[in-house]
Amino acid sequence: MRHRAARLVLFIMFALVAPASAQIRVPDTPPPQTRAGGSITAKPPTGPVPHKPNGQPDLTGVWLRRAGVANITQLLPQGEKMPFLPETLRRMSTLKSQDDPQLRCLPLATPRSSPYPFRFVETPTHIFILTESVHAFRQVFMDGRTHPPADELQLTWQGHSIGRWEGNTLVVDSVGFNDLTWFDNYGHVHSDKMHLVERFTRTDLGHLAVAMTVDDPGAYSRPFTLRYTAELMPNADLMEYICDNEQDAANIDAPADAAVDAAKLLGR
Amino acid sequence: MRSQPTAGLRVALLAIAFVWSSALISAHHSFAAQYDATKPIEMRGTVTKVEWTNPHARVYIDVKDDKGQTANWNFEMASPNILVRNGWKQNTVRVGDQITVKGYLARKGERMAIAGAVADASGKPLFASDPTDIGR
Repeated sequence: MRHRAARLVLFIMFALVAPASAQIRVPDTPPPQTRAGGSITAKPPTGPVPHKPNGQPDLTGVWLRRAGVANITQLLPQGEKMPFLPETLRRMSTLKSQDDPQLRCLPLATPRSSPYPFRFVETPTHIFILTESVHAFRQVFMDGRTHPPADELQLTWQGHSIGRWEGNTLVVDSVGFNDLTWFDNYGHVHSDKMHLVERFTRTDLGHLAVAMTVDDPGAYSRPFTLRYTAELMPNADLMEYICDNEQDAANIDAPADAAVDAAKLLGR
Repeated sequence: MRSQPTAGLRVALLAIAFVWSSALISAHHSFAAQYDATKPIEMRGTVTKVEWTNPHARVYIDVKDDKGQTANWNFEMASPNILVRNGWKQNTVRVGDQITVKGYLARKGERMAIAGAVADASGKPLFASDPTDIGR
């Protein structure tokens, strides 16, 4: 009996000191396990924004972006065009469809998306964004650190990301991307000078408004902002996506869409 | 013994193929680069292998031509993840099933094509891929 009381005191002490962000609620009953991946046609739920005990919005859940996968310009304000530097057009004019990194199962790099969902996992010091596509994750440092100095910054597929909350918006600031990824199936490219700022705002239970500002003086003449709204997939989990049967790259021999258009813009 | 699709099934497959071909107008280049929208096909045959793999599930079927010669065809579909989210199960199509596939021929690969719609053994027409985003 005394042991039980001691355990209870320990439990209450732990509950009091546990960081607020670790207190995301677990449902009382497990969700129905009908189909692991959920349904593509299920409508996002309606309701108010859920919050963590510390008052910040709770972003957990499986989110799906439907727009701008084939061509990222679908996410620009209407009528706005990509501000290409001439060298970017020259580079794009040489791209082959079969060289698309994603076609070859290499990682997505933001702001690219896929027809697959993503999920936030939050700890007191990190937010991880799990992406179903190519079974990858992004690591966002929430512990107040800055980006490494330029001579220590490694150029990687996912870049170096630090995050902070501005009111109800999660702001993720990323640098240190390599220049190997495309923004979309079309073939928009970027340089390793890309600085990306993403703003995630949960507007209700079922919707997440995302604005991505790309500032890449190595490839574009001015910053531009891409916007989309992700939908919460009800009763969905992330599924495995291991790319072990890629047969497309060997069976394509064609210029990328971007190459055809860039050649026209260059007057060739 | 090759049974012909029923009239109802033909209508259902045509409906899916119509929606599919309409979507081709906005197809991205990875479809056009790999498949020829001017070469639609419809084939019926026996499933010899199902690959429940990423980036694409694939179904291989033995198809007899007019002269009775059998050839094995490799049909690309969306990924298992996308198929499941559109109502498939891993065993929806099994080895030995007689299925009907509507799709488009590959430009480069021999006896390769993309399946837009598949009618399974029970005759139920199923989504197999979306050409606006073939789920790679």
